[in-house]
Amino acid sequence: MPFNSLQYFLFLPAVLLVFHFTRDRWRWAVLLLASLGFYAALGDPYLLAALAAVTMTAYVLGIRIGGTRYHRRKTALLWIGIAINFLVLISMKFIHSMTGTGHPSPSGIGRLDLSPAGGTILAIGVSYYTLQAISYLVDIYLGTGKAEHHPGRFALYLSVFPKILQGPIERGRDLIPQLRSPYVFDYAEARVGVLRIAGGLFKKMVIADRLAQYVNPVFDNVHAYSGVVFIVVTYLYALQIYYDFSGYTDIALGSARLFGIRLTENFRNPYTATSIADFWRRWHISFSRWILDYIFRPLQMRFRHGGTAGTAVALILTFLASGLWHGVGWGFVVWGSLHGLFLACSVYYKPHQRSIYRKLGVTIGWKSTLWQRFVTFHLVCLAWISFRADSIADAGYILTHLFAGTGKIGRLLTSHERLEMWVCVLSLGIMAFLYHLGKRRDKWEYLFSKPAVVRWVFYYATALYILVFGKYFSPQTFIYGKF
Amino acid sequence: MEAMISERLKKVILRELDLDDFDIEDTTTADMVPGWDSLNHARVIAAVEEEFGIRFRTLELIALRNVGGLQELIDKQNRGSR
Repeated sequence: MPFNSLQYFLFLPAVLLVFHFTRDRWRWAVLLLASLGFYAALGDPYLLAALAAVTMTAYVLGIRIGGTRYHRRKTALLWIGIAINFLVLISMKFIHSMTGTGHPSPSGIGRLDLSPAGGTILAIGVSYYTLQAISYLVDIYLGTGKAEHHPGRFALYLSVFPKILQGPIERGRDLIPQLRSPYVFDYAEARVGVLRIAGGLFKKMVIADRLAQYVNPVFDNVHAYSGVVFIVVTYLYALQIYYDFSGYTDIALGSARLFGIRLTENFRNPYTATSIADFWRRWHISFSRWILDYIFRPLQMRFRHGGTAGTAVALILTFLASGLWHGVGWGFVVWGSLHGLFLACSVYYKPHQRSIYRKLGVTIGWKSTLWQRFVTFHLVCLAWISFRADSIADAGYILTHLFAGTGKIGRLLTSHERLEMWVCVLSLGIMAFLYHLGKRRDKWEYLFSKPAVVRWVFYYATALYILVFGKYFSPQTFIYGKF
Repeated sequence: MEAMISERLKKVILRELDLDDFDIEDTTTADMVPGWDSLNHARVIAAVEEEFGIRFRTLELIALRNVGGLQELIDKQNRGSR
């Protein structure tokens, strides 16, 4: 069930109650059953089969790899594990088709349409736990991780429901020890968990889904538009995808925290990045760390005698892979390649940046930082165009018509009630305020230091705001659930 | 047995990273040293290989955790070549 549904908010407290009142040694079983039920609720037997295949093979291979001293055997087992996960990932990506809300995937390359009659298959979750399983096996192989022998706990590591749909992608050494440690109810933790969930709902249901109202009509029908409107919706889409995915992440991390589990942070104010490299240290962090450790580093080491060019090629290949992971379509390939290209250029540029600044008389300060953020944000937005557009042709049309006049911008803004726009502006304003608040202090500590009256007014106001302004009747599926 | 970081290794690292001085020890990791980011990492390794006239295996390099590990790899190669 999606996080932005009523069922989830009946499911979550129910599981929490059972979890709380179960004896500690069986809590893993409660969480595992709940997670499997959660995943099964998607109503797709292929997904359960994929999860079962990945779990069983990674469990067995992990123990075997950890238990053998023979290097050749270890290597062979590792490659078998990687191949199996890769195969599951590819096959699930190919046997899916998409209908319904959210944009359809960009023009696919050889996509098979095997959707069951009257239903849709989405490869939800597979992209995430296959990567997780691969990292688990590689870490054991390199000696930086240990195999988990408890099958239930291992299954839980892959499938625990707060993160099964869209990550974060957790390393074994981060999550498995937490699943072993006894659970003790902590009011402070629970409080932060609930507030985090509320924050996620705010981001997703109030902001992201509302922005989608403006973005979708334009991207779904590009030839009816031209000019500045494309620039505006690209900015709006940049915001939409951020609030959508970070909103999901907040709900995931908040939910996990209720069970005493700390998942990895996935976002760190990505649009304040001062370079594309910095962007990837702030956006979808668990994924970018994965591709850094398991694709880029090995490639870069392989190409180390190629100097800067070797690193550049490694970057391009890594981000090409990243694009393909998101989907088998030209839009994603272009998006990934663009990021790879930006990073490859920066490898050549970075060593000379200081001297270039000196020659231009630029001093490092708030102005240069602002400029860097401005440029980075626009490079990212440029790449988002091909990511979001329905086809490469559409993306091309948008790019060639970005400055073709100011027509239709009025039409866009008035396409919905004035109130919608004001709620957008107000909500984004609130987010901006929270960002500035968080720059110099811990937001939670700040909130919890206020008197009870202030805190509870805040809680009720937040709940009311979400209830009143949340998008219920045209809920959008989470964007990153499609990858 | 902990590897003692040789002066020669320290010199190569400092030279590649354009540093005048930095305290490099067994347990020093890349993120502790200014400028030793993932982009410079390959250059440092390649420079070490050239300095010592050796070639590491890619797999060994990926498993590297700190400078002590690098020194061990160098020592292993040197022991092997005697």
